Amino acid sequence: MSLVEVLASIVFYPPIYQLVIVGLIVTLGVVIIILWFERKATARVQRRLGPYHVAPKLAGMPQLLADLLRYAFQEIIIPRTVDRGVFITAPIIATVLSILPIAVVPFTSIPDYWPIPMDYSVLVALAISTVSPIFLVLAGWASNNKFSIIGGVREAFIITAYELIAILSILSVSAATLSFNFIDIVNAQMNTAWFIILNPIAFMAAFLAVLMSTSGFPFEIPESENEVVAGPFTEYSGILYGLNMGAAYMKRFAFSIILAVAFLGGWSPLTPGEGILYGYLLPSIVVIIKAFILMMVFSFLRSVYGRYRLDQALQGAWRLVFPMALIGFGIGIIEAYLGLT
Amino acid sequence: MSVSVIGGPKRESDLKIPGTEVRKIEKDLYEVFIGPQHPGSGHMRIIIRVDGDVIVEADPDMGYVHRTMEKLGEIRQYIKNIPLFERMAIQDACNVTVPYVLALEKILDIEPPQRAKYLRSLLCEINRIAAHLYGFGIFGVFIGHSTMYMWAFADREVMVELAEKLTGARLTHSYPIPGGARRDMPQDFPQAARKAARYMRRRLEEYRKIFLDNPVMKARMEGVGYIPKKLAAELGVVGPVARASGIKYDARYNDPYDAYDEVDFEIPVFEEGDALARAWVKVEEIKQSLRIIEQAVDWLESHTSEAPIHDKFWAKSPPLWKKVFEKEGRVKLLPMMATMKIPPGKAFARGETARGEIVYYVESTGDSIPYRVRIVSPSARNAIVFKYVVPGHRVMDLPTIYGSIDYFPPEADR
Amino acid sequence: MPARPVAKALPKRRGLFEGFKGNIAAISLGVKYLIDPKRFTLIYPNEYIKLDPGYRGFIVLEKKKCINCSSCARICPAAAMKMIKLPEPDPRHPGKTKIKLWPVINYQRCIFCGYCVDVCPTEALYHVPYHDIVYENLAEMDWDLETFTKPPDYPTASEGMPVKYIVDEERGLVKVKAQEGEQ
Repeated sequence: MSLVEVLASIVFYPPIYQLVIVGLIVTLGVVIIILWFERKATARVQRRLGPYHVAPKLAGMPQLLADLLRYAFQEIIIPRTVDRGVFITAPIIATVLSILPIAVVPFTSIPDYWPIPMDYSVLVALAISTVSPIFLVLAGWASNNKFSIIGGVREAFIITAYELIAILSILSVSAATLSFNFIDIVNAQMNTAWFIILNPIAFMAAFLAVLMSTSGFPFEIPESENEVVAGPFTEYSGILYGLNMGAAYMKRFAFSIILAVAFLGGWSPLTPGEGILYGYLLPSIVVIIKAFILMMVFSFLRSVYGRYRLDQALQGAWRLVFPMALIGFGIGIIEAYLGLT
Repeated sequence: MSVSVIGGPKRESDLKIPGTEVRKIEKDLYEVFIGPQHPGSGHMRIIIRVDGDVIVEADPDMGYVHRTMEKLGEIRQYIKNIPLFERMAIQDACNVTVPYVLALEKILDIEPPQRAKYLRSLLCEINRIAAHLYGFGIFGVFIGHSTMYMWAFADREVMVELAEKLTGARLTHSYPIPGGARRDMPQDFPQAARKAARYMRRRLEEYRKIFLDNPVMKARMEGVGYIPKKLAAELGVVGPVARASGIKYDARYNDPYDAYDEVDFEIPVFEEGDALARAWVKVEEIKQSLRIIEQAVDWLESHTSEAPIHDKFWAKSPPLWKKVFEKEGRVKLLPMMATMKIPPGKAFARGETARGEIVYYVESTGDSIPYRVRIVSPSARNAIVFKYVVPGHRVMDLPTIYGSIDYFPPEADR
Repeated sequence: MPARPVAKALPKRRGLFEGFKGNIAAISLGVKYLIDPKRFTLIYPNEYIKLDPGYRGFIVLEKKKCINCSSCARICPAAAMKMIKLPEPDPRHPGKTKIKLWPVINYQRCIFCGYCVDVCPTEALYHVPYHDIVYENLAEMDWDLETFTKPPDYPTASEGMPVKYIVDEERGLVKVKAQEGEQ
């Protein structure tokens, strides 16, 4: 066994690969690139230049690295009136939990490269994704600041709006394939068509739910700066603030991967073959690219929309998106009944 | 959770110092101080009390940018007050100074030449568009629509460019003077103004698509901050806020000054009275202002160029001055302008700025400085909306109402 | 033709389909600008605006034309212009000196209103069409008579490319390269 093979076997050991390589390094890279893209795309729509003066030839890309470094080395100010323990741990746990769903999503159909046994992976991924918002509410509450508390309560309200929709609309795929296993879902899509075509209503509902859960425009309500400064993160500074802000993007990336696997055909058109390269690396790259394109669409909406009012977002979620999710679920059942998948 | 107040009152006597009184609030209410250092407040503070998500009481606390304009006006010569007063609202510099100049002209009993009137109205309308776009941009970013903000500010640049061509300064034009205006229109101005007008009309259509008819933004604005006609009249609001509530009041229409009784334009009046109607009033007013600009430019082009200033300040001018005017279009000022004594008298003048009616009362005792200059600015009159209209709305509606009445603290505080 | 008030009504369009159409219109407009942003940003230190000659920039004194009348100092609204007393040889009484008044300007206070230029009876003051000059300390901004009599250095011009903005019907403003030697 040569050194390269040893290294490869360590790097591509599924838990390490999915949690450390994809979960941390790729996520960080994607978050930085998507933040850059968001700023650049918004700037183009708004007839500005966006990040430019840090390396004009790279279109201002290193600006985001500079911002990251600034957050990393900024002094962390902890006010005297906060609940210290919760104040510090809440953003850290929220960040960890927001990238954890990646660990259970398979990137390939080869059983050797599954991170965990795969029978209920959809349920596990959804279950993990529902935990992290609690820590945002906790961060707001621990800050002991009026704006933070209002922001935290808004976050709590938003959870009630999107959680059911997200679960229901993603489970409509399970209903169609009669399986909680991502592998079966992807195989079904490779046999017929992607679920975005078979069940566009469920995809739309899932898309909106992800937008709500990661406070993207037009649902950027908990952090709406014109009333509540920075919402739950008002008292945060330095890397803790960076974690809070990054957590939303990491969560969006994790959700994008789930959506890419559940609705956009996973690693299709690629059929995983033998070996690490064809069996694991390339399929995972395909999934990440699909997730990235989804992220770009999420980011672009910032330049078109403002934000809904809290009650309007809740109303829209329950009156419009929730029925959409139900219809999507129904379509999934009908498809399963007709044997389309 | 117990909250320890740092630096709070310790003795009973501390409670009596003005501004540090401890006020009791009802149980279950939450008092939030929005401003003066808050991303959504501007240079003012709004103290709101919320019950859940609903505001039950709002208290606007103005005066953070008070600059003693009226008092400073009493220690400066008449003409020096013009650059001072235009700093109330620098995007609207000509509109806020023209009524002051009108008041001076009333006391001096002079009538500016027709050309000066048209030039002033031209700059007033350019300023009105710029100020409306400014308000639009702030409104957009208040309800989270950053594209509207950037677009409005980019298009305002076109208007600022026009104003710079006309006056030589981007914002603080100091353009009207008693008896006329300071510069004539440059040769290439009419063409640029017409192009800008056509461009602006096209852009308004795009604003409609991305902001006014955007379902998200429409939902935020529709029915929010509803001011019925009766309440609007009782509160004495002015400008677009009043006209959006169905009150037909515009100083350009009720008390025409400068060229406004000669140009053809409409005063758009809406009946709905909500934030959406106030946004639409601004759009319609920009359209009418573009019409006025085109008419004024046509008039100025078809009439021969002469110094746009009253003969009193021009008849005895040396030949050098006429040469300067022919070459550069600049009107030279008489050295006596600096310490010009104005006969005893009182005058009252009003004009329509972008945010509403501005009123000047000037009293002269025959000295070279005014005895009293009283200014009532539109934002100061519209600020009362916070007190009476905001309660009953949700916390997220506060920026919507704030942005839609286009409240501008430096102008209100003077 | 006086103004006339005209009652207008908000566009009344409701319903799910209209909402859908509104969303599509907004997003397609956004995509249109994403493809062609029509921007006219000035990349400032690399480019600078070559302003029109009528622009009210820094003010410079032509000493030959000045008749020491103090009008400029009297009309200055910000009290930036001051008259200083300088002795100079008296042509009528050789060997003796007489006191003359000369204007100097303090750019900490100047608001560029241009009143002094307009009031000068002999056109001894003029504007230079630039204003973006930076000083290292406040004392440098208080000009003496010698500095006031010659146009200030304009370092931006030596580093950047001159551009001009032209009002355009399609794009609002268009940035074009200013011609060399053109005023």
